Amino acid sequence: MTLPERPITILIAALGGEGGGVMADWLIEAAAQCAYPAQSTSIPGVAQRTGATTYYLEIFPARESELGGRSPVLSLTPSPGSVDIMVASELVEAGRAMQNGYVNPERTTLVASTHRIYATVEKMQMGDGRFDSDRVVAAGKQLAKRAVMFDMRRLAQENGTVINAVLFGAMAGSGDLPLPRDACEQAIRGGGRGAEASLRGFSAGFEIAAGAQAAPQPPAPVQRASELREIMDLGEGRLRDYQGEAYAALYRERMQPFLEGDQKLAAETARHLALWMSYEDIVRVADLKTRASRFERVRREVGAKDGEPVVVIDFLKPGVEEFASLLPPSMGRALTGWAQKNGRLDAYNVGMHLKTSGVFGYLLVRSLAWLKPWRPYCFRYQEEQRLIGRWLARVQEAAARSVPLALEVTECARLIKGYGETHRRGKANFLAIFEALVENPASSDAAEQAKAIRKAREAALADPEGKALGGALGKPVTWLKPVRSGG
Amino acid sequence: MERSFRQEVELLRLGEGETFHGEGILAVTKALLQSGVSYVGGYQGAPVSHVMDVLNDARGILDELGVHVETNANEAGAAAMLGASINYPMRGAVAFKSTVGTNVASDALSNLASAGVKGGALLVLGEDYGEGSSIIQERSHAFAMKSQMWLLDPRPNLPKIVQAVEQGFELSEASSTPVMLQLRIRACHVTGSFRTRANRAPAISRRQVMANPDFDYARICLPPATYAQEKHKVEVRWPAAVRFIREHRLNEVFPGDMADTGILCQGGLYNAVIRALQQLGLADAFGTSRVPIYCMNVTYPLLPEEIIDFCAGKKRVLVVEEGQPAYIEDAILAALRRAGANDVVVAGKGALPMAGEYTGEVVLAGIAGFLDSGRALEPIRSLKAKALDLLGAPAPARPPGFCVGCPERPVFSAMKVAERTTGPVHVSADIGCHLFSSLPPFNIGNTVLGYGLGLASNSAVNPVFGGRTVSVMGDGGFWHNGLTTSIANAAFNKDDGILVIMKNGYSSATGTQELPSSPQHSESKAADMAIERALQGVGVGWVKTVDNYRVGEVAGVLKEAMTTGYKGLKVIIAEGECQLERQRKLRPVVAEKLAKGERHVRVKYGVDEDTCTGDHSCIRLSGCPTLTVKDNPDPLRRDPVATVIEGCVGCGLCGENAHAAVLCPSFYRAEVVQNPGLLDKALGRLRSLFK
Repeated sequence: MTLPERPITILIAALGGEGGGVMADWLIEAAAQCAYPAQSTSIPGVAQRTGATTYYLEIFPARESELGGRSPVLSLTPSPGSVDIMVASELVEAGRAMQNGYVNPERTTLVASTHRIYATVEKMQMGDGRFDSDRVVAAGKQLAKRAVMFDMRRLAQENGTVINAVLFGAMAGSGDLPLPRDACEQAIRGGGRGAEASLRGFSAGFEIAAGAQAAPQPPAPVQRASELREIMDLGEGRLRDYQGEAYAALYRERMQPFLEGDQKLAAETARHLALWMSYEDIVRVADLKTRASRFERVRREVGAKDGEPVVVIDFLKPGVEEFASLLPPSMGRALTGWAQKNGRLDAYNVGMHLKTSGVFGYLLVRSLAWLKPWRPYCFRYQEEQRLIGRWLARVQEAAARSVPLALEVTECARLIKGYGETHRRGKANFLAIFEALVENPASSDAAEQAKAIRKAREAALADPEGKALGGALGKPVTWLKPVRSGG
Repeated sequence: MERSFRQEVELLRLGEGETFHGEGILAVTKALLQSGVSYVGGYQGAPVSHVMDVLNDARGILDELGVHVETNANEAGAAAMLGASINYPMRGAVAFKSTVGTNVASDALSNLASAGVKGGALLVLGEDYGEGSSIIQERSHAFAMKSQMWLLDPRPNLPKIVQAVEQGFELSEASSTPVMLQLRIRACHVTGSFRTRANRAPAISRRQVMANPDFDYARICLPPATYAQEKHKVEVRWPAAVRFIREHRLNEVFPGDMADTGILCQGGLYNAVIRALQQLGLADAFGTSRVPIYCMNVTYPLLPEEIIDFCAGKKRVLVVEEGQPAYIEDAILAALRRAGANDVVVAGKGALPMAGEYTGEVVLAGIAGFLDSGRALEPIRSLKAKALDLLGAPAPARPPGFCVGCPERPVFSAMKVAERTTGPVHVSADIGCHLFSSLPPFNIGNTVLGYGLGLASNSAVNPVFGGRTVSVMGDGGFWHNGLTTSIANAAFNKDDGILVIMKNGYSSATGTQELPSSPQHSESKAADMAIERALQGVGVGWVKTVDNYRVGEVAGVLKEAMTTGYKGLKVIIAEGECQLERQRKLRPVVAEKLAKGERHVRVKYGVDEDTCTGDHSCIRLSGCPTLTVKDNPDPLRRDPVATVIEGCVGCGLCGENAHAAVLCPSFYRAEVVQNPGLLDKALGRLRSLFK
């Protein structure tokens, strides 16, 4: 008989703690059952601690007895372009594999889960730093000889097992693994504890890869309002709920000047205006935290079963700013002014663990929400309205000169978010950019100005501590007085 | 150490002619017992942690054989243990990570190598080089050369590795010289099988004790003995080693029909060379190659005669030698020159890169270039280019980081919080999981100088800063080297700095091995040796213990240490059990409770998506894998909101951070009452009336 020319090569890209090692053991065991020479190796090291790691296997698909006492020389490292089955336990790891040349259109079957586990650098940005998933999926379909890609984590959860079982099943189901199904399942059984769940996961992955079952449909993406009309409706609803009909009317009135102009500009402005006007003050937070819908959502998120009571404890730490925000403008201004000057802004915060699901905690938080009618007479309200006015005026002015410029000015509203110090920083970034680039631009050329604003805004979002922003503005941004004694 | 190695231990029992299936490093462990070792020591560290882990669980077998096993204080202790083979004809082996471990061990190794050994002495070195390595990129080869110890680098398959162990002891005894067995990470973890032999009970052991100590001044490392020892190395031991290597054919020649060409490679790289030749159509799956290969399973000393014979009649040869400096290539060139064999062209570094791991791709590129078939690489280049083009941007880096709920993470959150008032501070880091602090989101740690040396490396930093500086050290580093070299030294020199000791109870980064201060111990170890008492013993007057998860308090104590009038070393013991270990213990207990239908409160943290504004400041203060982002459910917003995904162990850091840093009110703690009692249900109902 003719022997195969080369071994089947399998590269597994996984994250620490996903059972990649166990899957490698399964494969070796299954190969042993077929009496095929096989070898696996890995570089776990500290990568086992949540980092990206790889396992590499080679299986020579011929029985030892047929080799005439010879044994194949198996490699310990994969070679780009020479991987037969590329397995990735997470989408961006599949992307990394492609980037390293391990997915070859003439040779490679790509078995990858489409779920995302975001890397720290993706999730730590002020804005949205997530890698483009759709591009990875598209690239996989283009680059692989055969792509088996679906949300295997979900399947694992549904079958009460770990993702490695589903991946193993998908490999076997793809038909490109030189090991029969029963050998694979036998290998899992040999693994002992948790075998039953693993077998369920294996079979689920197998059926889908083999085309006997349809892959689970990804949840529909959240609908993003983009049309002016749609946004206006959402905005009005939001503000009616926030502060009543008059406030919603104020919103409409503020939007008037934009309605006839460029629709994209109008839409973006409407969106930011609605969000800004519904700023998260203590009253708003208290209101949102004590709604029935909220407790329902919590139950869902923590996966509480029916009949399992859920106690919800909230972490609130109101301080000078929160207190001042509820005072009449003059008093509020005086208090924050003093606190700022003396670095006392974070000095008097009261940390509270409130059992919002409990009677007392609930009533306490709810009572704050009842302050809603008082809100328009508060310091924070006046401050926000003043800044909103200033921002809108600049957008309007810019619109008269150039729409792209106006869009950039509008987008600056995105910088103001968060609470406490984060909010202070964001607001300071906003003001820094406004003063330096919007109100006193270095160049009178609208395109130039727009570019500068975008650059500065992106810098502020990428690096909230503001070092990059300082560079973008051509001057160090200094707004945070060192606090003398913090919370 | 909670993980059990029961299955692995069973493999150590295999007798004559049975078949071992398993990992390379475990095969080495079995080979040690087959070689009749009297004692084994070592210090944990990937990729050789397993040797000690498994042996520690194999007490039964070891007692039967009378083998003494000891987890040494550090690599220096391990190397010193080999001193037992200087006077007495007994075999011993120690294992540790190299080159870091060999650095620590080199004092003892120099003395050992100078005195020479009667019994075989073997060092198993986990050569932590290249992809997946966690240490400085250097070669163990240099230590072999400077102290004249022989270096084995066998072909990476189990039979050859096992043979290397057995012949290593024979070589050591034949030449009275310690032998180093170098195994790369992948070779340590490679799976395979080999025919076992029965374990051999040593002639001298705990069971076969000696009566008369041997004294021989010639074995003391003092002049004039040291002069004689050096001569003995080069005049007697070296020639003896060369003879043994030649006679037992430790190096291998694989013939090929391309007689005017040749490849000389380290044994450990043989498989990579063959794979490259296969890809170029010059070798078959079984290693039959058209290019002749000289495979050096012993890379020090080299055998000039063998090299000259192999190169005879060849126009060009390629030396495949991983790492730098190119000791082997230079030695080969010198050997050929001395022999006047000048017509063979030697390629090596240049055809192959000077630095970095020799992966399949690198070796392929090198050999293809050497054989003028560079075009073989075109497909790979275009493949990568196309991928990057389709992806649009390189995939984000994903370095290892703190585990979910790791007790060390909150300490660095606290440092970030403290930094707001104290301003940025120089932090001298140390070796251990806590070094992950140097990565995003914390980026804390200005230097790292070695295991247990964080505080020592801060000695000249602290005095030159206006304010006080901080050093970090793990409990592993504390016992490895830190207590003496760092702490005693700092106390003695009246250092005014601050030391944070991460007391998580285990040597976590290397696989949660036991430490003298571990919360519980196996019978073979002494009861708790408290860090606190040790500090007292060396006269540290300012010691505060904090609960890591109380971020506000930890930040407070840090600020206090910064500002206190106390002059002298200030030590903060940051306590929190390694979460890996904690969960290993907790899971079965909880599962049992639930199975029995007993009441259990499951804690999970969460984020209110409608109050989260998507600024992610909480993530910049944590980096916990389960604290991540998701699409913003609010149709008007664009930026993703924070969310806590499945896997949260309820350590509480999110909430603590929200408080300590006054972040935002979006975090909540949910206590799910499983198998609720009547009271729980009643309360639940009462609450539900209000919303």
